[in-house]
Amino acid sequence: MGIIPEEAIKKIWPRIRKKHLFPEIPIPKASEGDESVALEMKNKQITISTAYCDKIAHKMDAEEAVEALLDHGISHYTFCPWDFHTHLRLFAEAKRVIKDRERAKRAAGLFMDVAADTYCVKRKKTPLPEFYKHIDKGKVDEVIASLYQRIWGVDLRAKEDEGVVRRLARIPYLDKKQWDKSIQKFARVIKVLLEVEEEQDRQAGNQTSPMGDHGLDGYTLEEIDQGLRNFANQNVGLKEFKETFEDFKEELKEVGYGMEGGMGRGEGTPLDADLVYYMKLAESYSIPIKKMPMEKRGHLNPHSHCPWEIGRPFQDVDVWTSFGKIMPGITQTWNKIEGSTFGEREAVPNCIIIIDSSGSMTNPRKNLSYAVLGAACASDAYLRNDAEVAVYNFSDAPMGGKALVDFTSERTKIYQVLCKYFGGGTALNLNELDPLLEASERPDIFIITDMKITNLGKVIGYLNNIDNRITAVYIGENTYAMRFREAMEKKRNVSFYNVTKKEDIPKIVLGKIREYFQGNL
Amino acid sequence: MTQNHYRERIKGIYDFIKENLYFNRPDMEIKGERFNSALMFSLLTGLNRGKELIIGEPGLGKTTSAEYVGSLLYRIPMGIIWGSEVSGHPEQTEEKIIGRPDLGKLNKGQEEVVWSNFAQIPVKIVDELNRLPETKQSMILDGVDRGNWEYLNEMIINEEYCLFATANYQDRGTNTIIAPMVDRFDVEVESRHPGPNIAYLVGKFDQKDRVLRNPKAENSLQKILTSKLSYQTKLRQMEEVCDGYGEFLKKKLGVQTVGLRDRKAIRGEIARMELDLDANAFTRMLLAELSFCYKYGQKRSVENCEEGCHFTGYLCHEVRNCASNRLPTSIKTYSQALAWLIGDSEVDVEHVKAVTPFTLAHRVQWKEEYLATKEKDKRDNPFQIHLAKDAVKTVFNRYGEQNEHLKRALAVGYRVFNGEALEPVDGDHPVYFEIKNDLGLEN
Amino acid sequence: MKNPFDDFKDHRTREREIPLDSIIQSRDRVMSSIIKGYEKLLEEEVKELVWLVQYNTVIKAYTLAEKVVKEFDYRAEDVEEFCYELDSTDKIPYLITGPAGIYISALCNYAKEEEIYLKLNDLKTQINLLGYRLPVGKKVIVEGNLGDFTGIGLEGGELVLEGNAKNYTGAGMKSGRIRVTKNIGLHTGEWMMGGEIHVGGRVRGMGKIVDGKVYEDEKLIYPRNYRQSNVYY
Repeated sequence: MGIIPEEAIKKIWPRIRKKHLFPEIPIPKASEGDESVALEMKNKQITISTAYCDKIAHKMDAEEAVEALLDHGISHYTFCPWDFHTHLRLFAEAKRVIKDRERAKRAAGLFMDVAADTYCVKRKKTPLPEFYKHIDKGKVDEVIASLYQRIWGVDLRAKEDEGVVRRLARIPYLDKKQWDKSIQKFARVIKVLLEVEEEQDRQAGNQTSPMGDHGLDGYTLEEIDQGLRNFANQNVGLKEFKETFEDFKEELKEVGYGMEGGMGRGEGTPLDADLVYYMKLAESYSIPIKKMPMEKRGHLNPHSHCPWEIGRPFQDVDVWTSFGKIMPGITQTWNKIEGSTFGEREAVPNCIIIIDSSGSMTNPRKNLSYAVLGAACASDAYLRNDAEVAVYNFSDAPMGGKALVDFTSERTKIYQVLCKYFGGGTALNLNELDPLLEASERPDIFIITDMKITNLGKVIGYLNNIDNRITAVYIGENTYAMRFREAMEKKRNVSFYNVTKKEDIPKIVLGKIREYFQGNL
Repeated sequence: MTQNHYRERIKGIYDFIKENLYFNRPDMEIKGERFNSALMFSLLTGLNRGKELIIGEPGLGKTTSAEYVGSLLYRIPMGIIWGSEVSGHPEQTEEKIIGRPDLGKLNKGQEEVVWSNFAQIPVKIVDELNRLPETKQSMILDGVDRGNWEYLNEMIINEEYCLFATANYQDRGTNTIIAPMVDRFDVEVESRHPGPNIAYLVGKFDQKDRVLRNPKAENSLQKILTSKLSYQTKLRQMEEVCDGYGEFLKKKLGVQTVGLRDRKAIRGEIARMELDLDANAFTRMLLAELSFCYKYGQKRSVENCEEGCHFTGYLCHEVRNCASNRLPTSIKTYSQALAWLIGDSEVDVEHVKAVTPFTLAHRVQWKEEYLATKEKDKRDNPFQIHLAKDAVKTVFNRYGEQNEHLKRALAVGYRVFNGEALEPVDGDHPVYFEIKNDLGLEN
Repeated sequence: MKNPFDDFKDHRTREREIPLDSIIQSRDRVMSSIIKGYEKLLEEEVKELVWLVQYNTVIKAYTLAEKVVKEFDYRAEDVEEFCYELDSTDKIPYLITGPAGIYISALCNYAKEEEIYLKLNDLKTQINLLGYRLPVGKKVIVEGNLGDFTGIGLEGGELVLEGNAKNYTGAGMKSGRIRVTKNIGLHTGEWMMGGEIHVGGRVRGMGKIVDGKVYEDEKLIYPRNYRQSNVYY
């Protein structure tokens, strides 16, 4: 049997697409490729190695081999892992059991293979079993093949390791809801084999699986971005997100994933897991973009016709449309309405975020800081409405515990300052706020703190003398907070929110912004 | 004439317009064939007697694309098409749109209606619909919906017609298109910018629409349209002139068009296209997500979702309004037409998936919160169509996971409905709840 | 009224039945029985969520556990999986390590296999009382750490622990062998009446041993180097 030209793929592709319910992936290609790797998937483009097909053509029908490979590749897309979020989740769960990163990736990859292949065998008509009968198998591949024998009920000529296979066979690979637990069980069993395989690979030179690796090549940057967002929002803690992110950092850089999601979006900036975490979390809190207001002009204009009725005045009768007749059913009269036009464009003002990172506040790089999240949500809301944001992060500012970024629309810069943590005392250096207030026309001010500010009196005095819209979100009730409240109560431009549950901070911040914006919607 | 023959003709029309008249990029692919969505859906609208809303920036061929399709598909010379268009502006009147009294007869005290070309010819184009005041939109509503036009106690009924309405994006001169009107459109498409290179070509061949002019046929048709004959007689006479125009197109331009009988035959063929079970089940799943409400029985635009509802992950949580019954009709007819055009023997889920976003885009009112999360998405379509595509893709992914389970549920539903004592299949999707509702069982 | 599902009347499901389906079904059935058995044990033995390790309570709990486990068919892997189910609160509302350990011991003792391998490295909780009354001919190999009273009342079986154990290891054992690769705690061999305890790491403290042998790093430390209870060295 000869190599499979692209025409043959074109021949079987419509049938395979229909079998898998028309996945949105382009027609696969054949390329010379490597004899040891049958299949690659990059940016959803499946490439089949003709060299591999040549090799296997001696043992099975070449078209069937191609179909098996395509079934495998497409099942990864349509079933497991399906998206990058699932990929991350599976890896994170595998890593709980197998502490080593590379082995955890390998375990996750094997699990995905088993799930995808089993799905295919159960739900579709596929020559995958025949394919597995004939491929060259390493130690781990042999175990997987014997697992397939057990769970598919087919003979793949694989030698069984009874104890291992019995354990692996009990795992519900087709139940997505149980994948988190299932992969842990899988990893527990396969751990030892992977250690042995690694040792053998070291001696024999790296061997790749014929089905290719499960890298990030198969995902678009948007999918990676979405996957990270879903992963962050999944209630994984900051620590776990960071760990997993760090584990994939090199691959993310290789595919061109930038800080803000993709090529050309801050690609050059090194990836910071903490920043990405808060960015992705903040993205799930969104408020609508402010729309262009419409205003009434104030004078009436003829707008449309309506039939004239007896008893109605004559002065608005349209003589031409009425054909010169005054009779019901023929005569038309003008409807006049007030014209409307676009109002003066009230741009969204810029925003200054003042965030407390003293010792009493959560360190955002160790645990999820709702204060930082709230600030992140605020900054995103303003940025999305084409405003700029300045950040003043303070601890003991007079002693140097502060970070400042001037008004900017660069999200990364803003987040870098938001996520800084000083952990010292709590004092504002008010002089540093002056240039910010002068640099922009009446920016909104959001201040997020626990109010235990040592120079609170000066702060109150300062804020009393400005008429910007100020929103103060403070955590917990204490004497400082009461003092602040009493002093600022009469100011109509100041709103206070005492937060008992820190989880409420983002909602409060966004609620206030919505109010601000709604005045102009 | 065989099915293939008709198909070749319609494809020929598509190719002719694409090569000579409406220059644009293909922006959708189905079964390996690439189409320009605006042109393709216009063609399907013309075949299906449908209603299409064409949006886009000014000057990007919204109206002209509809004119070309109308002219070639219905064999009506371009001059008549131009003369029959209704343009949207606030001073439009019923007399300009539908008909007016015969003034001579009126002076004698007799009522006789002179029908407008718009009301009489099968190709109806409303240019800049959203510049019409809402009262005038309502006026067109009835006529557009059923093809009947009334004025001064007289009525004509169009047996065959299709509607193309264009709309620019919101600016200071536009109104909204009223919700009942929007829902009556089968599809919404965008006539896009073709890119600088193709745009340059457009500029180079600016007299191209003249090729569809035929003054002789136009005069003949105009005479018939303004005559005092009965509408049925006019139609017969018009068909003869149109056939002549068709011959002209064939000889001069090499494009084979279709006559009234051919179009009827095509519609018959299209109507006989069956939907396969996946297409059927997927459509039901989508409709369930757009109409279901666990708490209130059905989706209503005046009711808000409950916090923490079990079905938060489904489309019912993201939309405000309920899907109308026109939606499944549009999905079905356009999927059938598309499958027919491509030459497939039945309608499968890929056809449905391709067509549905365009049938859905204008009908769905999304919640503000959902819009806010999607506004800044990278996309290649106008926002409404992008949201619709995204929604269809999401539901399709869900369908992919549970298609066998759903089909089994529907099969069991059939048996239970017929009285068999079976347990309906359970599932965690609105469609399973709706199956139970149809079976009169409690959820 | 027309049947709205008419289009699907001829539909037959195309899914293949594969052995995985029955394996999972069977596993779920067995796990469900095991969990129910455990809940029954708790219901009868644990009052107000308090259970103390006393001679009578242990015997009583074991008697009930025995009775329960004899009623269903299970394998060694089910025992391991049950240990992990105890750890997560999804299916089991609460874990009380004493009765849990007794129950698991009963499961091991009445399992069909002679050799039972339990990989418990990833368990967050440390199970107490594992190996209770392990009979002759049975071998339990545990990977991971265990709690107190490991191998308590061993009756001739072999308990291998690739990890650490805590206090009262081998308490009251009559015969058999306990092998711990790492360290064990205090009161080792308390009221031990026979058998052997081999510890690869350190023994923190010995209990009142009646008879039997204790080895530390292959060196016999009892009876050759008899120590008073709780003497640290």
